[in-house]
Amino acid sequence: MVRPYAVKGRKHKKRKMERREEAVEEEVVRGGEEEAEEVAAENEKKVDAVLDELPGIPSVAPVEKSKQPKVIFILEKASLEIGKVGKNFQLLNSDDHGNFLRKQNLNPADYRPDIVHHALLAILDSPLTKAGRLQALYVRTEKGVLFEVKPNVRMPRTIKRFSGLMLQLLQKLSITTTGSHDKLLNVIKNPVTRYLPVNSRIIGLSYSSEKLVQLKDYVAAASDDATLVFVVGAMAHGKISNENTDDYISVSGYPLSAACCINRICTALEQKWKIL
Amino acid sequence: MAKARDKSKPSAPPKKKGKKRGVNGPAVAAMKSSKASKPNPFETIWSRSKFSIIGRRGKGDERRVGRARSQAIEKRNKSLLKEYEESGKSSKFIDRRIGEKDDTLQDFDKAILRMQRQRQLKLKRSSKFNLPDEEDDDDDDDDSAFNQSHSLSAKDDFEDNVSLDDEDEAEEYIRLSNVADSSKHFPSRDMNDSLETSSQDGNENTHKTKKQVMMEIIQKSKFYKEQKAKDKEEDRHLMEKLDEDFRSLAQSEALRSLTQPTKMNALKALLNKNPTGKTSKEEKTTVDKELFKKEQPDAYDKLVKEMLHDIRARPSDRTKTPEEIALEEKERLELLEEERKNRMLAADDSDEGSEGSDNDEMPDIKKRKTLSGDDLGDSFSVGVETANKKGWVDDIYEREDAAGDKNKDVTSEGSDSEEDDRGADSDEDDSSGNEFDAIPSVKDWEQSDDDDLGTNDEAELEEKELNDNDSKGMKVRKMNSDNQKANVARRLLSKQETLPYVIEVPKNLVELCSLLDNRSDAEVVEAINRIRACNSIKLTAENRWKMQGFYGVLLQYFATLASQKPLNIGRINSLVRPLMEMSGETPFYAAICARERLSHIRTRFCTDIKLQDKSSWPSLKTLLLLRLWSLVFPCSDFRHAVMTPATLLMCEYLMRCPIVSGQDIVVGSFLCSMMLNVCKQSQKFCPEALNFLQVLLISAIDLKPGRKNLSQMYHTIELKTTKPWLRICSQVSVVHALEFFEVMNMEAESTYFSSDDFRASVLAFVAEILKGFVSIYEGLSSFTEIFSPISGLLLEVLQNDNIPQSLQNNLEDIVELIKKKTDEHQKLRQPLQMRKQKPEPIKLLNPKFEEDFVKGRDYDPDRERAEMKKMKKLLKSEKKGAMRELRKDNHYLFQVKQRDRVREEEERTEKYGKAMAFLQEQEHAFKSGQLGKGRKRRR
Repeated sequence: MVRPYAVKGRKHKKRKMERREEAVEEEVVRGGEEEAEEVAAENEKKVDAVLDELPGIPSVAPVEKSKQPKVIFILEKASLEIGKVGKNFQLLNSDDHGNFLRKQNLNPADYRPDIVHHALLAILDSPLTKAGRLQALYVRTEKGVLFEVKPNVRMPRTIKRFSGLMLQLLQKLSITTTGSHDKLLNVIKNPVTRYLPVNSRIIGLSYSSEKLVQLKDYVAAASDDATLVFVVGAMAHGKISNENTDDYISVSGYPLSAACCINRICTALEQKWKIL
Repeated sequence: MAKARDKSKPSAPPKKKGKKRGVNGPAVAAMKSSKASKPNPFETIWSRSKFSIIGRRGKGDERRVGRARSQAIEKRNKSLLKEYEESGKSSKFIDRRIGEKDDTLQDFDKAILRMQRQRQLKLKRSSKFNLPDEEDDDDDDDDSAFNQSHSLSAKDDFEDNVSLDDEDEAEEYIRLSNVADSSKHFPSRDMNDSLETSSQDGNENTHKTKKQVMMEIIQKSKFYKEQKAKDKEEDRHLMEKLDEDFRSLAQSEALRSLTQPTKMNALKALLNKNPTGKTSKEEKTTVDKELFKKEQPDAYDKLVKEMLHDIRARPSDRTKTPEEIALEEKERLELLEEERKNRMLAADDSDEGSEGSDNDEMPDIKKRKTLSGDDLGDSFSVGVETANKKGWVDDIYEREDAAGDKNKDVTSEGSDSEEDDRGADSDEDDSSGNEFDAIPSVKDWEQSDDDDLGTNDEAELEEKELNDNDSKGMKVRKMNSDNQKANVARRLLSKQETLPYVIEVPKNLVELCSLLDNRSDAEVVEAINRIRACNSIKLTAENRWKMQGFYGVLLQYFATLASQKPLNIGRINSLVRPLMEMSGETPFYAAICARERLSHIRTRFCTDIKLQDKSSWPSLKTLLLLRLWSLVFPCSDFRHAVMTPATLLMCEYLMRCPIVSGQDIVVGSFLCSMMLNVCKQSQKFCPEALNFLQVLLISAIDLKPGRKNLSQMYHTIELKTTKPWLRICSQVSVVHALEFFEVMNMEAESTYFSSDDFRASVLAFVAEILKGFVSIYEGLSSFTEIFSPISGLLLEVLQNDNIPQSLQNNLEDIVELIKKKTDEHQKLRQPLQMRKQKPEPIKLLNPKFEEDFVKGRDYDPDRERAEMKKMKKLLKSEKKGAMRELRKDNHYLFQVKQRDRVREEEERTEKYGKAMAFLQEQEHAFKSGQLGKGRKRRR
C-alpha cells in the first residue's frame, strides 16, 4: 500500500532538517565569504529595484478597466452581399459589378460595401477603441445577416482586401486570427438585442429624425450607468427603423455619411471620457 | 438484404451486371418520357433554397425530392427486383445479341453491326485452303475476278512498257543506222564539215592536213605573243602606279612617324634612287629587264625586312604608379649627382659651348630648386639636362663672384669627405660617452635626447665654430633678427656649396647635423626632400627601415633645435612640413616615437615637481614638440595613441605646476591656447584649461580679505596664486601682442614680467583664449555652470580702471557673449516633470483570410494534410451514400416481399373462400336433398 502522504511529508521534513543542520555546519566552516556574497547579491537586488523604480517617476495610477463605461455600435443595413459573378463568388460592389447587377435587374447604387468599410475603420481607428472603450460592434446586412466584430480586429485598409474578408466571413461564417483560434468576426443569430447588456440605451441615428441634438451635450447628459448603443445606418439610401430604439436622433442639419457620423460620436465620447 | 445481394452477385455471371445496367439506362430514359406525360403531383415540387444568392443558377433549384424518390424506385424495379426474382431460378435467358446492350443504337445500326461481325468472322477464318463451300465459292469467284482484272491491268502495263521500249530501241536503231550511213559517206564530205566534226571529236585531228596544222600553230603563237605584250603593259602600269603610291606614302607623315629615323633615311635614299632607276628602266631595253628587276627589289626588300624587325607600334606610357614615380625621381637624382661629381673632377672641358645662353635662365633654376617633394615627378620631365648644366654654370659664376669670401673648401663639397670628417668627430664623441650608434633604434636617440645630446651638441657647435668661421658668422647673424636672417639665408644660398643630389640617409644626429649645418632653411628642406626621394618607402622594403631611422633622427634634430638657446624659429618651422609628411608615411613609427618621448617627458615632470625650487613648467622644447604632435596627429579622435596622453600631460601641467614667475603664466596660457586648438574640433571639455584661466583672472583682480567664494575655488587647484600677477596698477594705453618666443628667451627675473605692459598683453591673450572656449562650449548644456563664475571674475577685472580701452571692450564682449549664451541655455531648461506614460492601445489582431476565397477549398498550407482531409471527407460521404443506398434497397425489398406475401395471402384466402363456397354449396345441396337422385328426380 501507499504510505499516507502526511507520514511521507514528515519524514521528508525530518531529513531536510538534518540536511540543513549539516549545511549550516558547512557554512560555518566556509565562513563569511558567502555571507558577503549574499549581502552583495541583496545589495544588487536593491539596486535593481531602485533602478526599476528610477525611470518610473510615479505616473498616474491606472483606473480599473472593467468599471469604465463603454459603448456599443451597430451598423444597420450594411450592403454586404455575395454574388456569383461568372464562376466565382464575389462581394458585390457598384464599381466592378455594375453591368452584372443591371443584368439581374438590380440597382448597382445599392451595393456599397465601401460605406461599411469606412464606417468600420472610423470606429476601429478611433482613440475611443484604442483606449478599449468599445465594448462591441455589430453589423447587420441588408439581407439580415448579423455578425459581430471584435474591437481588437485590425481591419484591412484596402477595399479589395476588405471585400475578401467579408466574402470569406459570409461564406465561412467566422474569421479567426492568424495565430490562434479566437474568432475575430463571427456570424451570429438575430436579433441583435439579445447580445446587448441589460441596461443599454439604444440610440438610433437618422437624418430623418425630428430630434436634432448637439451630440456633445447629448452624450454628456447620458448617465454612465447605462451602456450607450449607437445604431448607425451603413447604406447608401434609406433609413434605419426606429422600432427597437430607445431614442431616435439626428446629429446634424445635413445628411452625413456613416463614417462622419461615427467620427462625431467618437469625438463626443472621447471628450466626455477625456481620451486624448 | 445486403446479404441477399451479396449472394446473388457471385451467382450471377460477371456480364450480367453490365448488361443489367445497359438495360436499365434506356428503360429509365423511356420512363422519364412516360412520366412527363403523366405527372405525379409530388414530383413537380421543387426543393426550396435557403439563401438566394444573386447570380447563382440555384443549386437547390434542380432538385425535386419527389421525383428523385420515384426515380430511385424505378431504378430498383429494374435492377434489384429482377435480381430478386431470378434468385430463385436455376436457369435464365441471357441476351447476347450484338448491339443489344447499347441503347443508343437504332435497329438499322444494330443490323449493320451484326453484318460487319459476320464478315469479320469470315475473313478471320483460316480456311483459305479448304475446299470452298458455296458461300466461299462466291467469294473466291469475286476474288478471282478481281485478280483477273488486276492481272489484266498488270498485263496492260507490261505491254505498254514493252511498246515503249520498243520505240526506244527503234529510235536507237535508226540513229545507229544513220551513223553508219554518215560514216559511210564521210570521206566524200566537205573540208569544212570535217573541221566542224573535228571540233567535236578530237580523233578527227589526225585527218588535218599539214598546212592547216601549221597555220593553226602560227595563229596560236601570235595570239600568245599578243597576250604577253598586253600583260606586260598592264604590269608596267601597275608598277608605276605602285611606285607613285609608295612615294606619296613615304613622304606622308604617317610612315615617318611609324618608322625610325635611320630607316627613314634609307627610305628617302631609295626614293631618290627610284626615279633614276625608273628613268634608266625607261631607257633600258627589255633585255636588261631582268637585271633591273633584280636590282630594285633588293633595296626595297631589305627595307621591308628591316621594317619587319621594327617595333610595330608602341603604346603610350601608362600612368605611373607612385612607386614608379619615386623610382624615376631617385634615378634622376642619381644621374644628377653623377654629373655633378664628374664636373667636380674634370674641371672645365665643355663649358665654353654652353656658357653663352645661361644668365637669362637663372630664375627658372631657382624656381626648380625650391620645389617641394610633392611636385617632383611631373615638373622635371622636360629639359632636365639643360637646366642642370645651367645650374652648375650658374654656381660657377656665383663662386667666381664671391671669390673674395673663399671660405668654402671645394673638397668638402663631396659628401664623402665631409662625412668622413664627421665620422671621425662622432668617433671621438663616442669615446667621450656619446651613445650614438649606426643603428637608429628608438631608445638610443630617446635616451640621448636631452641631457647628453644638448651638451654634445654644444660641444659640436663649439667645434664647428672653431672649424669654420663662416658658420660662426652665420650664427651670430642669426641671433640678430629674422629679417636679417632671411637676407643671410639668401646670401648663404649663393655662397654655399651646392647640395649633393643623392644623399645617404643619415644614420644618426651627428651625420644629419654635419649635413644640415651651415645650410640655409630652404636648403635644409631641399636636402630632406632629396633624402626622402632617394630612399622613398615605395621603392624597396628596406627603405622603410632607413626612413624610420631618418624620421627619428629628424625628430631628434627638431628637438635639438628647439632646445638651442638662440632659437632658430625659421628652421624649426621649415622642419614641420617634412616631419608631418614623413609621419604620414610611417604613422606607426611616428606614434611610437611620440609616445616614447611623452613618457619620458612625463617621468621627468614627475621628478621635477617634487623638487621645490625647480620650475616644473614644460620647457620650450617640450612645448614645441607638443605643438608638432598636435599638428601631426588627429586631435579630434576620441582616443588616440599619442594625442590622448599628450592632452593629459598638458592638463597635468596646467593643474599641478605652481605659478612662480611671469614666464610660467605665459607658458600656461600657451598651453591653454594649445588645449583650445586640440579641443576645438572634438569639443571635448577641458576643465583644467578653464581653471587655469580662472586663476589668471583672479590674479588680475585685487584680492580683498574675506572672499570666501574665491578661496573655495582654489581647492581644485593645488596651489594658490597669492600674488596679483596680472593686476594692472597703472594706466596702460596700448596693448601689445605677446611675443611668445621673445618672452621665453627672457630671464625669469626680467623686469618685463612685472611691467603693466606685459600684464595687459597677457590679459588680452587670456581674453582671446576665453572667447575661443566660449565659442567651443556653447553647445554644452552645462554652459551656464561652467562660465558664470568666469563672467563674474571678468566683471571684477573690469572694475579696474587702469585696464586699457581695447582690452576693456574685449572683456566686455566676452561677458556679453557669455550672458547671451547663458540666457539661451536657461530658456531651454525646464523644470523636472512627472514622467508621462503613454496610454497603451489595445492589442490588435490580424484576421486570417484568403485573397481569393473559394468555398470548400482547403487552405491548409500543409498539402499532404489537406489532401488527407479531402480523402477522408470523400470516404465518409461515400460510406454514407452506400449505407443509405443499402438501407433503401432493404426497404424496397421488404416492400416487394410484403407485397408478394400479401398477394399470396389474398390468393390463399381467395382459394380458401372458393373452396369454402364450394363446400358450402355442396353441403347446402346435400342438405336440401338436391344432390344426386334428388336432382335427377327433380328433373
